[in-house]
Amino acid sequence: MEKHVAEKVRIEQRFPSWRELLKPTTEFKHGYYHYPFRISDAKYLELPFVREWNPLDKDWKLPPNWKEIFLTKMKEYLEKFRSFKLFMDICVRCGACADKCHYYIGTGDPKNMPVARAELIRSVYRRYFTPAGKLGKIAGARDLTEDVIKELYYYAYQCSLCRRCSVFCPYGIDTAEVTWIVRMLLKEIGVVHRFSLISIASSARTGNHLGLLPGGIAGALQSIAEDIYNLTGIEIEVPINKKGAEILFVAPSADYFATPHWYVCMGYLMLFHEIGLDYTWSTYASEGGNFGTFISYELAQKLNAKIYQEAERLGVKWILGGECGHMWRDKHQYLATMNEPPKTLEDPVSPITGTYFENAASTKMVHIAEFVADLIAHKKLKLDPRRNDKWIVTLHDACNYARAMGLLEEPRYVIKNVCRFFYEMPEHTIREKSYCCGSGGGLLTEEVMDLRMRGGMPRAMALREVHRKYGVNYLCTLCAIDKAAFPHLLEYWRLPVAVGGMMELVGNALIMKGEKERTTDLRGEPLIRRD
Amino acid sequence: MIGIIFGVIIPYIAFAIFVVGVVYKFIYWAKSAVPLKIPTTSGQQKSLKFIKRTIYDRFDSPYTKWETAVRMILEIFAFRSLLKNTRYYLDRLSQRDARWLWLFAILFHYCLLLVLIRHTKFFLEPVPSFVEMISELEAFKGVFIPSVYVSGVTIIAALFLLWFRRIFLSRERCISLPSDHFALLLLLAIVISGNVMRYFIKVDISAVKGLLLSLMAFNIPQAVEFANSIEPMFYIHFALGSFLLAYFPFSKLMHAGGIFFSPTRNMPNNNRAERHVNPWNPPYKGITWQEYYEAYKDQLDEIAESGYKVKPEVL
Ligand code: HEM
Ligand code: SF4
Ligand code: SF4
Repeated sequence: MEKHVAEKVRIEQRFPSWRELLKPTTEFKHGYYHYPFRISDAKYLELPFVREWNPLDKDWKLPPNWKEIFLTKMKEYLEKFRSFKLFMDICVRCGACADKCHYYIGTGDPKNMPVARAELIRSVYRRYFTPAGKLGKIAGARDLTEDVIKELYYYAYQCSLCRRCSVFCPYGIDTAEVTWIVRMLLKEIGVVHRFSLISIASSARTGNHLGLLPGGIAGALQSIAEDIYNLTGIEIEVPINKKGAEILFVAPSADYFATPHWYVCMGYLMLFHEIGLDYTWSTYASEGGNFGTFISYELAQKLNAKIYQEAERLGVKWILGGECGHMWRDKHQYLATMNEPPKTLEDPVSPITGTYFENAASTKMVHIAEFVADLIAHKKLKLDPRRNDKWIVTLHDACNYARAMGLLEEPRYVIKNVCRFFYEMPEHTIREKSYCCGSGGGLLTEEVMDLRMRGGMPRAMALREVHRKYGVNYLCTLCAIDKAAFPHLLEYWRLPVAVGGMMELVGNALIMKGEKERTTDLRGEPLIRRD
Repeated sequence: MIGIIFGVIIPYIAFAIFVVGVVYKFIYWAKSAVPLKIPTTSGQQKSLKFIKRTIYDRFDSPYTKWETAVRMILEIFAFRSLLKNTRYYLDRLSQRDARWLWLFAILFHYCLLLVLIRHTKFFLEPVPSFVEMISELEAFKGVFIPSVYVSGVTIIAALFLLWFRRIFLSRERCISLPSDHFALLLLLAIVISGNVMRYFIKVDISAVKGLLLSLMAFNIPQAVEFANSIEPMFYIHFALGSFLLAYFPFSKLMHAGGIFFSPTRNMPNNNRAERHVNPWNPPYKGITWQEYYEAYKDQLDEIAESGYKVKPEVL
């Protein structure tokens, strides 16, 4: 290893016997376990058994009949989710998934192997729902005890629901689905982590995870418009809550405030202004993301329903969605099932190019990368890719839209048109095999920093390779969680690479009518040209 | 006595358990709802015309019924997902090909298939010509006497290879439950006893065929007669086989049927084009626009007053 590696990160791999693996782990390591929910959030969301509790305590103050509730609910979910039932039954423990999980790779903890993570609950399933389970340990079954609950909590929140394991499983067993259902079951006995619930409660109340009120959103959009004015000399009007607009635009709320999300939001506004799009932002549906999908079906529905309600109220024709990962798993796979699309919506047709987005005909929601790629293909945008010359770009395929949507080529198409230096990371770390940033699925929280940094290791190493080989200095990702997570991760692994979104690159390259000569990029840094 | 118990009673019971068990399992799975369309997409989605989809994308991220069917067929006959296998080595920070697992799995399953096809000659009269043909093809007729069936021997090797994985690789050892070893050992015992019977301790094949035909015709007296005339060696193989049948529906071996039900593989990735309906979809519970409006009336009215838009403040 070269001298840049400042911190020694030891990854110890342990391979206990199958017997030991059945014993619950109850020692919670700092940096790996999640804090418990805040009373106020849990109350607001009407969760059962709201109380003070602490994962480090011996007594979790579970309800007296917790076991009965857990098993009854488990039976219910087995009936409600065929995936769960099937995945409990058919795993052959071939181990193909074992080393596909970035948390396993980064921590060496055997219970982070996807197959072992699923076995945590599968052993309970065997005990209570199969005939052989009566034999106990020898049949791989174990009793449901408080220690098992603790272990389930510990490991269900060490999975980022990334689905990488599912790509490699010969039966498509999706440990993310199993983890999701374990989280639902834990919720039924009042065991939920803090981080997601804070955002879910905010979003349920205010319409977005950050808890921004209407004035705050208007203010943020105004500041962004001011930044654009300073850059281009163009005054942009930003429509909000406008009835009768053609398109409702929804983005993850981090885009209003966080960096580097901010530059992406500048990109949206510049593009929409330039093409004269008749659209509107909404304050009621001001969140594209959906942390509810990290915890349960009902909480997911509670948040994504607002988008359709608002689309109907405003009378728009269709919906355009911004850059985000889990948001697009939600919009692509969940939204239209959890809520019936309003009859008032019309087929999504690009007003600029006339393209009919056939693949979104029912959900009526189009991804920004699809929309922009279509504009570029029809030559509706004037672009100067040399304005991105400073950046040697690589693309991180965010887990959710890569493995739950298949959005792979659209971003590449756009990026290759707006910048001149683009290199791919190694083949086994991109596209459907993409490695998670380590912070998805509700793990974007301080208290699990060790886990996140280790889980992000495979991605960081892949990036290091292209950084050394081609001098890559810009990691492009269309995911809001990535944009928040990667800066820490890359600092930890000592990679001097900037993180940003596709729309930032588009914003840089976009030549706008009447703009003044640009001297800086969207970040306010001087433009550099390479010839 | 041995003949009646292991030749007649146990096979009937085992077969009944097998049929009832498999049907039960299928109904048990089919009964559960499929609330969401959750294909794991492993390729480019269908979207715009100029976004090219390769042939691989079409079945790794299928859009139509047919593409989905191809995906399933490839999973079932080619173990396509397993073919993507790699292995992560920490010290090299890279991945290594691990398709030997695929190779062992394919070897085992195809040999099993061949063996099963060849076994039909014991209970089908007349023997279908393709069964004869397969038997002759794989036996290298004339090289050895009696001719050696390649699949019958290879399957032993394949099973040992699969088992050695579980014994010698630390990671695989760690996740292997007793039942995983058991399934392999049971199959090994069956195929080894079968081979022993074929090459070393011969049994009366025509009596075996007579037994199976009369069992299938429910001609019990005749079956008993045949059963009593067969050598004990046969019953080792036959009893183990019966046990496998009875064990099958309640074990991981049901993966053979389960793969057809797997929602991450058998659903098309056309989520936004065709709505999937959840039979138990609960009603929305949360605030409405009206409640939201009342809570933040001042700020919302302010946005309304400025004409539903914001402009940059320009100095
Ligand atoms: C539709 C038919 C089938 C398909 C698609 C299928 C597929 C697979 C796959 C992909 C694996 C994982 C790879 C491996 O560990 O070898 C596997 C494992 C296995 N299959 Fe099958 N299988 C089928 C039928 C059967 C049948 C009928 C049997 C036996 C009666 C069987 C016995 C096994 C065993 C014992 C293993 C585990 C191997 C081990 O433990 O390493 N399979 N199968
Ligand atoms: S790849 Fe699938 S079948 Fe194999 S161990 Fe993992 S979950 Fe089980
Ligand atoms: S979904 Fe991702 S994080 Fe979870 S077990 Fe699978 S690979 Fe690991």
